[in-house]
Amino acid sequence: MSSSANEAAARASAVSEMGRTIPTDAEVPHSEGVRWGMVVDLDRCTGCQACVVACQAENNIALNEEQRVLERRAKTWIRIERYWEGEFPNAKARFIPVLCQHCGNAPCETVCPVWATYHNREGLNVQVYNRCIGTRFCANGCPYSVRYFNFWNPEWPEPMNNQLNPDVTVRTKGIIEKCTFCVQRINRAHVTAGTEGREIRPGEVQPACAQSCPTSALVFADLNNSESYPAQLAEAEADRSYTLLEHFGTDPGVIYLKKVDPHAEIHEDEHAHA
Amino acid sequence: MQHLAALLPRVTLKQALIVGGATAPPLVGGAGVLAILLYLMAAGGTATPAPEQPIAFDHSVHAGDAAIPCEFCHRGVGTQAAATVPSVEQCMFCHSVVKTDSPQIQLLQAHWDTKTPVNWARVHRVPDHVRFVHAPHIQAGVACETCHGDVASMEEVKQVRSLAMGDCQGCHRENSASLDCATCHK
Repeated sequence: MSSSANEAAARASAVSEMGRTIPTDAEVPHSEGVRWGMVVDLDRCTGCQACVVACQAENNIALNEEQRVLERRAKTWIRIERYWEGEFPNAKARFIPVLCQHCGNAPCETVCPVWATYHNREGLNVQVYNRCIGTRFCANGCPYSVRYFNFWNPEWPEPMNNQLNPDVTVRTKGIIEKCTFCVQRINRAHVTAGTEGREIRPGEVQPACAQSCPTSALVFADLNNSESYPAQLAEAEADRSYTLLEHFGTDPGVIYLKKVDPHAEIHEDEHAHA
Repeated sequence: MQHLAALLPRVTLKQALIVGGATAPPLVGGAGVLAILLYLMAAGGTATPAPEQPIAFDHSVHAGDAAIPCEFCHRGVGTQAAATVPSVEQCMFCHSVVKTDSPQIQLLQAHWDTKTPVNWARVHRVPDHVRFVHAPHIQAGVACETCHGDVASMEEVKQVRSLAMGDCQGCHRENSASLDCATCHK
């Protein structure tokens, strides 16, 4: 065997060794096993922002003071985008909750030089804070703008520092953070189900946003489990379902439902005002 | 000895062998370097010295001589994240009658009388970004000694394993447990 063949064999074995610790896309078919996902019914969303507040509290997200918002450096793992339709007085407000789409084919994952973000076997797009070196390539690559960079170390005024969630790391300056689908709750459900010797039941895991939604516009479950309500909902309401920026081929794990208004007037010059 | 070990940098056996092996041959005082590293290992190695406890609780008496199972006192171990340190009340189940004349038990009694918890010094602590849950490990049949060492023979409990990421991963790999980052990192 020549030396270059030896090298190729060594490289192949190194790659297969890596593949054992970090699953590749080919290894995890999205139609099999668990795929955590969400169905967002935009016809139910009232734009109340309860999900935003719940997420902020659950995930130890730093306070977005006025100055931070003006600097466009506010962090909201889930945000409500507001669009106006029509002109006053016949204006309608439309809301779209936007969170990490946990793409099956995520643009953020391929650009990370240190594998700080990867796709796990349950369809989650995971951010490993310890690995992150803050290049922000992922945030630039994300078409949904749902990755947030920590420009400062977060600080909470007394007594709010006492309400931090012990199950979630407080992220430090210089790293990227984003929606985790409340992975700490998923992990807890795994432990509970494991100790009781069963599978996780549909509806057992609720991220903070879905839990706090007063109109149940956000519903969360394993989309591959046909017994789960969101999977059934997405199936039954297929005629009004879509995913954000579908044409990018990112295969999002968040499915949006929206009835198309046949009476809506669409003007060429109409711009969205978020 | 323990105070000295706390001041000096911690080294693992592997690190000591690599450093020792690399420096020993070229240096005249190589043997000396090796001796220092071996001394460090003997002085504690990766293990932190046992912290001083407010009450000199002796595990070798309870878990050793009396052969009380770990989970009799650390009751959360099979069902939750923390193994839990028993409450003063739980100690008093036995010690309201057992060894009441011992000065250490009288310390405990004082806590019971004033209804104040004992401020035990924590021995094992994983970093803030790690979420360790005892329950699945117990479910998988991992013995307490695997990570905590032979506590039944320890007068003062100290950490015996590094419990660094590689340490956890080695065991996870051997037992085909999850190697997904999100399993442990939060």
